[in-house]
Amino acid sequence: MKERKKIKISNIIIYIVLIAWAITTVFPFVWVLLNSFKPSSEVLNASFALPKEFIWDNYVTAFSRMNIGNAYKNSLIISGSVTIGVIVLSAMMAFAMTRYRFKGRRLVNSLLAASLMFPVFSTIIPVYRMMIRASLLSTNLAVILPHIAGNLSFAAIVMIGFMKTIPIDMEEAAYMEGANVFQVFMRIIVPLCKASLSTVAIFSFMWSYNDLFVQKIMISDNTKYPISNLLETISSQYGTDFGLMAASVTLIVVPVLLVYMVLQKNIIKGLTAGAIKG
Amino acid sequence: MLYKKKWPVLLFIVPGLLFMVIFLYIPFMENIRNSLYNMKAAVELPGSPWKFIGLANYKRLLTDPDIRIAIVNTLKMMALTVIFEVGFAFVLAVLVSNVKRLQQVFRTVYFFPVVISATAIGLMFKLFYNYNGGMLNQLLEAWGKEPVNWLSPGLAFLMVCIPTLWSYIGFYFVILLTGLSDISDDIYEAASIDGCSRFKQVFYITLPMMKPVFATCITLAITGALKVFDLPWVIVPNGAPQGTTHFLGTYMYQQTFGLNDYDYGSTLALIIVIMGVLVSWVVGFFTRERE
Amino acid sequence: MKNKLLSLLLVSTMAVTLLAGCGTNTATKDAGTKDEGQTDETQKDDGGNAGADEGSAPVTLKTVSMFGGTDPNAAAYQEINEELMAQYDYITIEDNSQTSDEDWKAGIAADFSVGNEPDVLQFFTDATADSIVATDKLVSVDEIKAEYPEYAQDTLEAAMTASANTDGVSRAVPTTGYWEGLYCNKDLFDQYKVEIPTDWASLETAINTFKENGIIPIAVSLNNVPHYWLEFLMLYTAGEEVYTSVPKTAPAEWAKGIELFKTLRDMGAFPEDTDTVDDAYAGQLFRDKKAAMQLDGSWYAGQIEDLEGTIVVAFPGVPDQKAAPASMIGGVSSGFYITKKAWEDPAKRDAAVKFVMAHTSQAGVQKYWESTGAVAQAATQVNPVEGATPFAESIAAYTSSASLMVAPTDARIGDAYKTLIAQIVKVSTGAMTAEDAINMALEKYAEQYSE
Repeated sequence: MKERKKIKISNIIIYIVLIAWAITTVFPFVWVLLNSFKPSSEVLNASFALPKEFIWDNYVTAFSRMNIGNAYKNSLIISGSVTIGVIVLSAMMAFAMTRYRFKGRRLVNSLLAASLMFPVFSTIIPVYRMMIRASLLSTNLAVILPHIAGNLSFAAIVMIGFMKTIPIDMEEAAYMEGANVFQVFMRIIVPLCKASLSTVAIFSFMWSYNDLFVQKIMISDNTKYPISNLLETISSQYGTDFGLMAASVTLIVVPVLLVYMVLQKNIIKGLTAGAIKG
Repeated sequence: MLYKKKWPVLLFIVPGLLFMVIFLYIPFMENIRNSLYNMKAAVELPGSPWKFIGLANYKRLLTDPDIRIAIVNTLKMMALTVIFEVGFAFVLAVLVSNVKRLQQVFRTVYFFPVVISATAIGLMFKLFYNYNGGMLNQLLEAWGKEPVNWLSPGLAFLMVCIPTLWSYIGFYFVILLTGLSDISDDIYEAASIDGCSRFKQVFYITLPMMKPVFATCITLAITGALKVFDLPWVIVPNGAPQGTTHFLGTYMYQQTFGLNDYDYGSTLALIIVIMGVLVSWVVGFFTRERE
Repeated sequence: MKNKLLSLLLVSTMAVTLLAGCGTNTATKDAGTKDEGQTDETQKDDGGNAGADEGSAPVTLKTVSMFGGTDPNAAAYQEINEELMAQYDYITIEDNSQTSDEDWKAGIAADFSVGNEPDVLQFFTDATADSIVATDKLVSVDEIKAEYPEYAQDTLEAAMTASANTDGVSRAVPTTGYWEGLYCNKDLFDQYKVEIPTDWASLETAINTFKENGIIPIAVSLNNVPHYWLEFLMLYTAGEEVYTSVPKTAPAEWAKGIELFKTLRDMGAFPEDTDTVDDAYAGQLFRDKKAAMQLDGSWYAGQIEDLEGTIVVAFPGVPDQKAAPASMIGGVSSGFYITKKAWEDPAKRDAAVKFVMAHTSQAGVQKYWESTGAVAQAATQVNPVEGATPFAESIAAYTSSASLMVAPTDARIGDAYKTLIAQIVKVSTGAMTAEDAINMALEKYAEQYSE
């Protein structure tokens, strides 16, 4: 009897801790959302109250001063291309690394592992120079290429880890029946790898979408800004307009949160599978 | 091997390899070379050739007080991510695995900040920290206290760390929770029959069984700390206030693209790689030792 | 189900990618408005035509100016662009304007050095432009005048001379000049019975009084834009001759002037969060009457809303002052350039000239002058506005009584100036001596101009 009571009390404490943390992760977004409907002066004085009346002015200003739609488009192009590029290249590399023995295989393996040690800072200056010479600055390609390179080794390592676990029997059967390597790859390996491919896809998409560093360096033309770049500019150019800032943050956060809510099971499963296997 | 023809391997491996060589390895080598020259602009302009300056940039590293701050801050950030991100995430994971209701809600909600871009989180915290009418000072005012300059030199580093740590706890939480659920219930049952309390179970069963997961988390946390850029840059650009919040990434950016000192920037880039290698070697050494 | 959603997401991003992949060059009519695909086609090569004749093939001009964001000239700039596009419907302006800061200047220089320059550029004409001039991608005014005699015809001779590049060649056509001065919230001075400062002693009194009453004496962001204080402190401490020199090592007078940052900081003259706020934020403090004084340029005048209670006065002074009272920092140091890229492109040449003329003609300059509160120094004749406010009157009094007008230091040492700016916070706290900070910048300067 005593034992049970104890457990109940400890359970209450556990719930208090868990709910408290949940509040810290939700409250900031609610706060920003609420304040995006207030004029700046109200944000400064009464940021915790509900808006006296809901006004849309901040959103109107946000859309009229900044091309948010265009920034979304650029971000989607960039992250979409990066995701596709990374999936395709990493799956191909992993296939070669797990199904073939060839000279230099160990070299490739160590190149892959070692490149995890290069944060984007360490290669950006020469890559920037490269983009300059190719006249690619302020184009999406200037962001896409280094992003692919930056995510590729991690993705390849995850894919290699996964492909190793796929038994070779099915391929054998198909191969014996006369399918060529490419058919085997497309029809058997790729469908089997769906789970880990989606891990890699989610990782690459999020990294690329959330990156500011490469965008900031490669894209100087403000008509071509992706989302992160645009947000940063808002904060330095209109940093005093709190209402506008709150509205801009909301505009950028809400779609991401919605997508996350829809896909959350995949995202979480994908991330953990990737991280643990990697 | 199954596939007799060897030539397709080239098709499979070359495209990816090219990407790595062109965008990672060649730039890395070029960086080393660049750090030995006086780069007057990002590209060599006709009429102003770059001069070979040897190790001048490396000598400068030794006397540059800001790089010291950047390195110390980065190391501090590494320690903090391991202790607070991984540590606190573990606490949360153990707690959540011990409750029956709302598990799914907690999982969903804790993960919110992970999917939001650091830039947006940075802007949000800028609104919180603002001296005049920021959220925190409004709270203080409501309690009749004097406003605090949250981004003063003494506090700024902490104030940058908070959102950085906060935003990624959910990530490690989810990984650790999955790790926890992989431990079979039988072990716990056997332990509680033997009279082992729940608290002890965490120490004698959970922690040892989770070692590999922890190793992954710690490696991720440390390499993550090395890559910190967006949040400090948005909240306190250029190491403000008074250079106290320089990190390796932000300092490298400021020198290279803010002050156009490309050769010193290249030197810093190299230092970042060296630090990364050193730190992960140390981490690898310890995690391997324990296993 | 889950997998379906996921693949749906991937497929849709892929679709977006493929659809838009080839359209990365999509032009925007101008920064603010939406692009509804009217421009994709227009910028394709119509190189064959000599584009001078009327109603010719569509032309897209890529323009860059510092009249963006919160810049008071932004509205006039947009208005002139729109008028121009309405008048010549074959001209599309793809504009990329932003308020000027160090990052922006660096970005422009980088664009030029790599062949990513715009067709028309509104930019500085002083040493800031040296790195751009060095790329030899700008057309001189004389060359343009040889073909278009009416080019820059409204511009005053003096303004033209003042806006020549450091090598003495005029490449840009100016619109308005600028001055820098001390903005004061006169109503706060009246409320706390403080005299408007006229020398160092009265400045100290003002700072202390405001400090005691919980008003921020001076609104400034030392981390972001300490430029104005830096310049005035140096000019007044060093005197004109030493101030305008480009020395090899730090002159004691420069150092002494910059050390005053520490004196002011120790007095509590600056906002509590001066190390972290943006310049725009400091301006807000002043306009919200939370701060009493702000040192800023004529471009700031357009943002002042309280035209009754705000005035502009000369910089008060420093201890052991060497400069004459009422010395002013200012000049005509920006204008519209045409790049060779546009000039040598027959399709674009005429449009570029039309663009610059629209902005620099008497009518264009009048717009700029009025939009900045009719307070700047205009590069053409301007028609006075009726019913001047106390604010405008104080500016007229200040600018007309200036004993001296000199350009700021960045006009002389160019990019190396950034290195000095980056150290100001440290100097103000005593973490670095002013001498070291100046020497760092001068070393950079020497490096930049070495063989």
